[in-house]
Amino acid sequence: MQEPPKGYWNPYLAGFLLGLTLLASLLTLGAGLGASGALARVGAFLEHLALPGHTASSEYFGRWTESPLWYYLVFMFIGTFLGGLLSAVFAGRVRCTVERGAAFSARGRLLMALVGGVIVGYASRLAGGCTSGQALTGGALLLTGSLLFMVSVFAGGYTAAYFVRRQWHG
Amino acid sequence: MVETFYGLAELSSPRAMFVAGIIGLAFGFVLERAGFGSSRRLAGIFYFRDMTVLKVMFTAVITAMLGIGYAVGMGWLSLADQVYLMPTVYGAQILGGLLFGVGFVISGWCPGTAAVGGASGKLDAFVFLIGAVLGSIVFNETFSLIEPLYRWGTQAEPLFAFGFSKTAFAVVFTVVAIAAFYFAEWAERIVAGGGPYLSSRFLRSFSLALLVFAVGLFLLPYDAAVRDSYASGSSTVIGESALLEAVDAAADHIEPEDLADRLLAGDPGLVLVDVRGPGEFQAFHINGAVNVPLPQLPEYLLPYKNRGLIVVYSNGMTHPAQARDALARLGYENAYMLTDELQGFVDRCLKPVSLRNEPLSEEQAERVRKWRSFFLGSGPVLAASATPSPADGQPSTGLSGMVSTEWLASNLARPELKLIDVRPQPDYNTAHIAGSVCLNPESFRGVIGGVSSMLLPGDVLASLLSLMGIKPSDTVVLVPGDSIRDATLVGMGLDRLNHRQWAILDGGFDRWSAEDRPVDDQLPAPAATSYPAPDKPDWFTVDAQAVLSHLGDGRTVIVDTRPADYYRGEKSDERRAGHIPGAVNRPYKEDLQEDGQLKPLEPLADAYATLIPSKDTPIIVHCRTGHQASQTYFVLKRLLGYRNVRWYDAGWTEWSARAELPVAPQGS
Repeated sequence: MQEPPKGYWNPYLAGFLLGLTLLASLLTLGAGLGASGALARVGAFLEHLALPGHTASSEYFGRWTESPLWYYLVFMFIGTFLGGLLSAVFAGRVRCTVERGAAFSARGRLLMALVGGVIVGYASRLAGGCTSGQALTGGALLLTGSLLFMVSVFAGGYTAAYFVRRQWHG
Repeated sequence: MVETFYGLAELSSPRAMFVAGIIGLAFGFVLERAGFGSSRRLAGIFYFRDMTVLKVMFTAVITAMLGIGYAVGMGWLSLADQVYLMPTVYGAQILGGLLFGVGFVISGWCPGTAAVGGASGKLDAFVFLIGAVLGSIVFNETFSLIEPLYRWGTQAEPLFAFGFSKTAFAVVFTVVAIAAFYFAEWAERIVAGGGPYLSSRFLRSFSLALLVFAVGLFLLPYDAAVRDSYASGSSTVIGESALLEAVDAAADHIEPEDLADRLLAGDPGLVLVDVRGPGEFQAFHINGAVNVPLPQLPEYLLPYKNRGLIVVYSNGMTHPAQARDALARLGYENAYMLTDELQGFVDRCLKPVSLRNEPLSEEQAERVRKWRSFFLGSGPVLAASATPSPADGQPSTGLSGMVSTEWLASNLARPELKLIDVRPQPDYNTAHIAGSVCLNPESFRGVIGGVSSMLLPGDVLASLLSLMGIKPSDTVVLVPGDSIRDATLVGMGLDRLNHRQWAILDGGFDRWSAEDRPVDDQLPAPAATSYPAPDKPDWFTVDAQAVLSHLGDGRTVIVDTRPADYYRGEKSDERRAGHIPGAVNRPYKEDLQEDGQLKPLEPLADAYATLIPSKDTPIIVHCRTGHQASQTYFVLKRLLGYRNVRWYDAGWTEWSARAELPVAPQGS
């Protein structure tokens, strides 16, 4: 790997542009980037659809049940998906796959993605944000709590990495 | 100055949604170009195989950090009002981070990158997103369990850079990032033979440029600018004439005179917080204040969030300004600081008339005397009522809920005293206290939103009061017959209008006439006034949605004041029988003696103490139409000093009729 793989940007340039995007978000919206907030809103929307009374009375989702999807992060998430699609299409990278190590089954990999997803969804609500909302945005604002979050993510990740290494082998 | 959607409170506007979508577009494009549409690459960082994540993330954070530093340092951006700053919650952020890291490495995704991964066709990304939505739902379902942890370590305001100078921290952070870049390149080379930029001129120049910009921050007042933007909220001073207007216009101060009047009138929606140390508090505090240390403030005030009026004071400007700003950022729109702090209150309200430099009018002097006697404890301003207020340290009110016939007789001649007789009209016409007007309490109610027997909106009530010739400054005494709840219902209307001084005649008309006090059969001739309509809905009336949101929260006590057989669902006049799940039953009649008068205070206090854990417990009272519950509201709020009582006016009439609302016992 002497150069970035074809069609990928120099990571430092990509990071610089990502930083400018974050800066633009802070200067126009007055709020940084975010992604997990949108997923939580979708969760509130779906749960409200299934159990309206129960969800409206729940303490966490209850305050959103008026119109959970009318939220700037939901729109940002849609934008993120479309932006990713645009870039992937231009680079000819859209391909339906389950990414995994050769020695790992697709079903096993999907199960890992699901389990990890539940944990990430839960943890994002607990911490009040994810890699975008806490680590990137809060880090750029030098918020103590977000810096702690960033360090904790790496600590948790490196601790668990050994146990799930098989899914990427081969 | 940059004005953001957040700063303009327009983050929910269609324009903000559009801008967010565009920013998302750029965000997604860059993430994909960085290679974040691949979970294998993302997970690579945890095996030192592919450190792209570290390089991109650190560069982005440093870039935006420097951009913000310059924007703030140049005075273009105010962090305190224009940017949403996440609250600092040590426990949740550390534990959430650890958990997040584990989930990240198991799944190979985080929410933003999974959106991009999904867009480039990765099925595992879609599965991850479904999982994350499920995880959010699980969080909601387990919220009551996790809540202590979710709030553990909450700081009163967002903290920056571990308390170090932001500029110095930014420089150190930049150096750490550059070190991390070189470490990442080196690790890639060792582990996978990569590390393409390890000895490149590009990385050297790039690192140098970042460092130069970071050091350049020292030329700007970055730290001072942030500090100033925090303190700037505290410089407004409001002229006395514009006082009420200014408070309503969400200025952040309340004048001492206004506070004094509100305390004197026993404003039920007022929470006064002294944030000084306990020693200073013990030595002297404003009568009616509670002492809460700054760190516990958000937690303590949660039940009062956007309900009533929160006033925070200290003896210097900094603490309360910070506390108020922190509260404002946590979404409190009803937190105010006391202008000129405790010293101002003492100088402007409590300083004896004789020691003042400026001359006072007789009216002003009388006001000062009332304040002094109330706050410095030389006895109640208005004569004692038949039912003294409880002596357990509750904030005392100038006018307790009830006045005695004796008090009324000696104050009857005062021009600002207005009497409303709430007995049936034939009884009134036969004999009433001279000057009283007759009011059928039902005329305060009507159909609202399809629900019958609802207390009318403030503007309608204001015009009714105008026709009765009542002004906001009047002291109103309500005269009931044998049904005290008729008076308490009218009282709800007065509370909705924020009428400051009102009370109920203890013993009602019957005691008055039994004591052979003078009565009259003439109709009074009140001159119509123009009672101002309140510009906000009251803070104590709740709707079904709000009741629903408190079910099972483990704090709120719902008191159903209907007769026990209705509560149990054995009798019913409605579509569904039973009660609101979790509600406790305390029939309003239990508070009455056989003659229809309220029981003495002591048995009432004992009875409610067994139902409600503390005077700060959030309480919602309701009955069928709101009438009986108004009596319980009065007992709890005005006589027993419960601080957080609300009223579900629509009551069982609405609850039973709306099939989607839960009912206990089930199946009834």
